[in-house]
Amino acid sequence: MNKQVIIRSACLALFVGLAGGCATGPGGGSIYVPVGGDDRRSAPEPPRTNIPDEQDEQVWRKSEQPTVTEPDSPSTRAPSYSESGDQLPAAALTLVRDADQRLRQGDSAGAIARLERAQRIAPRSSEVYFKLAEAYVAGDNLGAAEQFTLKGLSLAGNDERMQRSGWLLLADIRRARGNVAGADQAEARAAAL
Amino acid sequence: MSKKTPPRKKKTESSPRRKRSGLWRFLFRAAALCLVLLAGWMVYLDAVVTSRFEGRRFEVPSRVYARPLELYDGAGISAAALVRELELAGYRSGDGRRPGTWQRNGDRFVISTRGFSFPDGKEPRRRLSLVVRGDRVDSFSVMEGDSSPIVRLEPAQIGGIYPSHREDRILVELDEVPESMIAGLMAVEDRQFYEHFGIAPLSIARAMVANIKAGRIVQGGSTLTQQLVKNFFLTREQTLLRKGNEALMSVLLELHYDKDDILETYLNEVYLGQAGTRSIHGVGLASQFFFGESLKDIDVHQIALLIGMVKGPSYYNPRRHPERARARRNLVLDEMAEAGVISGQEAREASARPLGLSAKPSYTDNRYPAYIDLVRRHLARDYREEDLQSEGLRIFTTLNPEVQQAAEKAATDTLPRLASGEVAEALEAAVVVTAKDTGEVLALVGGKDPRFAGFNRAVDARRPIGSLVKPFIYLTALSQPERYTLISPVQDKAFTLEFDDGRRWQPQNYDGKERGLVPLHEALSRSYNLPAVRVGLDVGIPAVQETLRAFGVTTPISDYPSMLLGSISLSPVDVAQLYQGLATSGFNTPLRTIREVTDAANEPLSRYSLKVDQVADPAAVHLVQYVMQETMQEGTGRSAYYRLPDSLTLAGKTGTTDDGRDSWFAGFSGDLLAVAWVGRDDNGPTALTGASGALPVWSATMAQIPQHGFSPVMPDGVQYHWVNPGEQALTGENCDNARLIPFIAGSEPEQHTGCNGSLGRQIRGWFEGLFQ
Repeated sequence: MNKQVIIRSACLALFVGLAGGCATGPGGGSIYVPVGGDDRRSAPEPPRTNIPDEQDEQVWRKSEQPTVTEPDSPSTRAPSYSESGDQLPAAALTLVRDADQRLRQGDSAGAIARLERAQRIAPRSSEVYFKLAEAYVAGDNLGAAEQFTLKGLSLAGNDERMQRSGWLLLADIRRARGNVAGADQAEARAAAL
Repeated sequence: MSKKTPPRKKKTESSPRRKRSGLWRFLFRAAALCLVLLAGWMVYLDAVVTSRFEGRRFEVPSRVYARPLELYDGAGISAAALVRELELAGYRSGDGRRPGTWQRNGDRFVISTRGFSFPDGKEPRRRLSLVVRGDRVDSFSVMEGDSSPIVRLEPAQIGGIYPSHREDRILVELDEVPESMIAGLMAVEDRQFYEHFGIAPLSIARAMVANIKAGRIVQGGSTLTQQLVKNFFLTREQTLLRKGNEALMSVLLELHYDKDDILETYLNEVYLGQAGTRSIHGVGLASQFFFGESLKDIDVHQIALLIGMVKGPSYYNPRRHPERARARRNLVLDEMAEAGVISGQEAREASARPLGLSAKPSYTDNRYPAYIDLVRRHLARDYREEDLQSEGLRIFTTLNPEVQQAAEKAATDTLPRLASGEVAEALEAAVVVTAKDTGEVLALVGGKDPRFAGFNRAVDARRPIGSLVKPFIYLTALSQPERYTLISPVQDKAFTLEFDDGRRWQPQNYDGKERGLVPLHEALSRSYNLPAVRVGLDVGIPAVQETLRAFGVTTPISDYPSMLLGSISLSPVDVAQLYQGLATSGFNTPLRTIREVTDAANEPLSRYSLKVDQVADPAAVHLVQYVMQETMQEGTGRSAYYRLPDSLTLAGKTGTTDDGRDSWFAGFSGDLLAVAWVGRDDNGPTALTGASGALPVWSATMAQIPQHGFSPVMPDGVQYHWVNPGEQALTGENCDNARLIPFIAGSEPEQHTGCNGSLGRQIRGWFEGLFQ
C-alpha cells in the first residue's frame, strides 16, 4: 500500500471539505435546547404531519393571525431529520488544526487524542470522522480508518463536497486494504455526484 | 570467647579474691552476651530498616478523575452547573485572580485555572472570562495566559483505589518542596537535622529538663529521623523498649542513607489528616486536601499551617478547630522568622491572613460508588488490583458530574412518586446515560440511594427487556425494503402458536384489544404486541437474533417466539450498548468509562479510543429512528413531553414485562442516550408500565440537561414522501391523513390517492409555496 498517496489524497479531499465548513457558529443543523426549552426558535421548522382535525374548520382570511397551536398538541411535534450534519465550531476546528500539525510530525496518537476531543465537541460533523480516518491511516490502522470514513459519510447528508471527499477517501483506503471492488464502487459513487 | 576462660583451680581454693574475680567474669560474660544479642538485634533492625526503605517505600493509591470540563464558545452548560463543576474541582469563589478561584457577576464569570498535566499535554494556568447565556458559554476569552479558543479545567477527583491500610498520598520529590517549608520544618521540629546522626542527645536532655520543670510533656526531643522511624516502622505505644528501638533504628537509617533521602521520605510519610477511612499522608496530598492547590503553589501562611499540624493533625485540624490551627500557624510563622527563614515583616503579613482553606475537601470518598464500580471492572481487564492500589496511577474517566447529578436526582425524586406503601419501599431504579456518538458513559445510578455502594443494578440486574426488543424486530424487517416499509399493513390480530410438544402460546396486546390491519410505523410507535410477533415470525427468529447480536448482545438469546416480546435478560448497561447502534444510525460504539490511564509521572499506559463499527444499513436504521421519534410524539412515550420542551426532539422506546415486574425506557436526544429501569429486587409485580415507571425517571433526567434535539442526518438512499399510510398511497402535503414518511429509495408506494383535504388548507398550501 502507498500510505503517502492515501494521506495526500485524504488531505486534499479534506481541504476541500474543511474550507467550506470552517466559518460557523456552534451547533450547526441541530437544535440546541436549554433546560426548560428555548423560546428563540431559530432553527428551520421540522417537517410536519397533517392530521385532519375536526375543530380546524376555520376559513382562511388574509387579516388573520397565524394559527396559534397548543404547546401540548402532538401536531406541533413531528419526527425530525436533517439534510446535512453539523458544521465544525471554532473550538473543534482549532483542535483539528492542532491534530493536522501532529500528523505532519508523524504523531498519529497525539493527533487521534486531539481529534477525539474535537469529536466530543462536534459529534455530528463528518469532517471530524474523515480526519480521524486520516489519522488512523497514518497510524497504519486501515480497518478503523474505513469505519470512521463510513461514519463520516453517514453524516455528510446532501453536502456533495463532503460526500465526494468521503467516497474518495473510502476508495483509497479500500484499495490499500486490497478491496479493489469496494474501492471501485466508492469511486463510482464519488463520480456520480 | 568463652574458650578463653582460664582453667579451673581446685574447688577448695575459693577466697574473697576469687569470688570477686568470678563476679567480674560473670559480668564480663553477661556483657558479652548482651553485646552479642544487641549485635544480633542491630543486624535484625538493620535488615528491617533497609528492606523497608530500599524497596518500594510507599504504596500510592490510584486517582480516578471525572472528565475535564471543556470551555469554549458554544459549550452547553448552565451557570448553576458551571458553579457546581468549579466547586467539585476545588475552586473557591473569590477574586478570580488567584489560581483556583472564580468570580461571578451576573452572567459573567472570571475563572483562574490552576493548570493541569493531561496525558496529551499540559493545560497551563490561565485567567478566563466567559458569559453563560441560554445555558451556553458565550464571549469566551483568555485574559491571561496562552490564548486558546478552548480550555480544559482541571478534572475533579472522584475517587481512588486504595490499599487495605487506606493511606493516601501524593508523592513529592525534595526539589518540588518549597524551600521555606523545609527550612520552616527544621526550625520548628529539628534545628540540628543536618548535623546530628539520627538522634540529638542534647535536644533530648533539653527536652527532659523542660518537661521536668513543667511537670508534663511540653517538648519533644525527637529528631525528624526519629519521627520518621516511629511512623514508618513502629507502633504508637510509648514504652522504653520502643524508644530504644527508635533510637537504634534512627542511627542505622542515618548510617545507610543521606539526609536528603530521609527528609524526602519524611515529607511523604508524615500523617496530616483524615477523611473518613482514608488517611492523609505527606505534604503533597495535604496541600491538595486542605488548600486544593499543589504544593508548589501554596503561600507561606499555608506552608506554616502544614508545618504546625505535624505536631497534632487532629488537634490542629484547621477545618474543625480553625482558631487553634491559626494560633499554631502564627507560632510557626514566628519561629520561622526567628530562624531567619522569613523576615519579621513577612511573618506579620502572613499571620494576618486567613487560613486559606479550600471550600471543602476536594472530594469525598464514595460519591459515585456505582460508576466507580464499573470503572474498576473495566480496569480489571488490563490491570492487576495490587498495581491499582499501589502504583499511583491516574485514571481519566468519562464521568460527567452534571449528568450524574441529574440522573441521581431523577431517580431519588421520581421513585417515591411512582407508588405508595410497601411497593414504594420495594421499588428500585437504575439509570445509565451515555454520550450518543462517543459511547462514553456519562452517568450511572445503581439504585435509589446513589451513595450506597451495594448491589449495582445498572450493571448486575439482568432483567427481561420486554418491548425494548421491538425496534430490532422491525429493523430486521425494514432491512428488506422490497417486503416491508413503514406503511406496510401488519395484522393486529390474536393467534395461537402450537409447539411440537403440544404447548400453546397465545400472545396478547397490553390493552387486550385487537385492531386489525395497522401500518407498521403505528404498530411500533404504539408498541402493539401482536404485529411485532407476526413480523418477527415472518422475518424469522434467527434473523432477529442476528440483528441483536450485531448490535451488541453477547449473552445467549432464547430461540422461543417469546423472545419477540423481550424474554431476553439484559442489564441497563447492556441495553445502553444495544441502543447505541440505533441512536448512531447503525454504528456500534463500544461503551467506555475510561479515556486514559497514566502512571504517576504522567507517562501514558493505556488509551481507550473511540471505535465505531457499522453493523446495520443506516437507511433502515433511519426508518426505525423515525418511528422512535413518533413514539415520543404520539405513541407510548408521549408523556415525556409533560416535562420536556416540545423543541427537544427525542426518540425512544418503552418496555414493560408481565405484571409490571420491569419497567424500562431507552431513548436518545441529539447528544445523550439514556436507559432507565424501575422494578423490584425480588422481581415482584408492580402497577407500572414502561411509560409510567421508567419514563418519568428518564424524562426527569433529560429535563435537567441542556442538549441538542435529535435530528438524524438523512442517509444516502432515503427519501421522504407525503403519503396516506392508511391507503398506502402517495398524497399531497396538505391532504387529509398526509404524513411525511421516509422510505428506502424505490420502496415508496407508486399509486396516488385523491386529496380530501379541506379547501382552506389547500389554499394555504399553495400560498406557502408561493412566498417561500
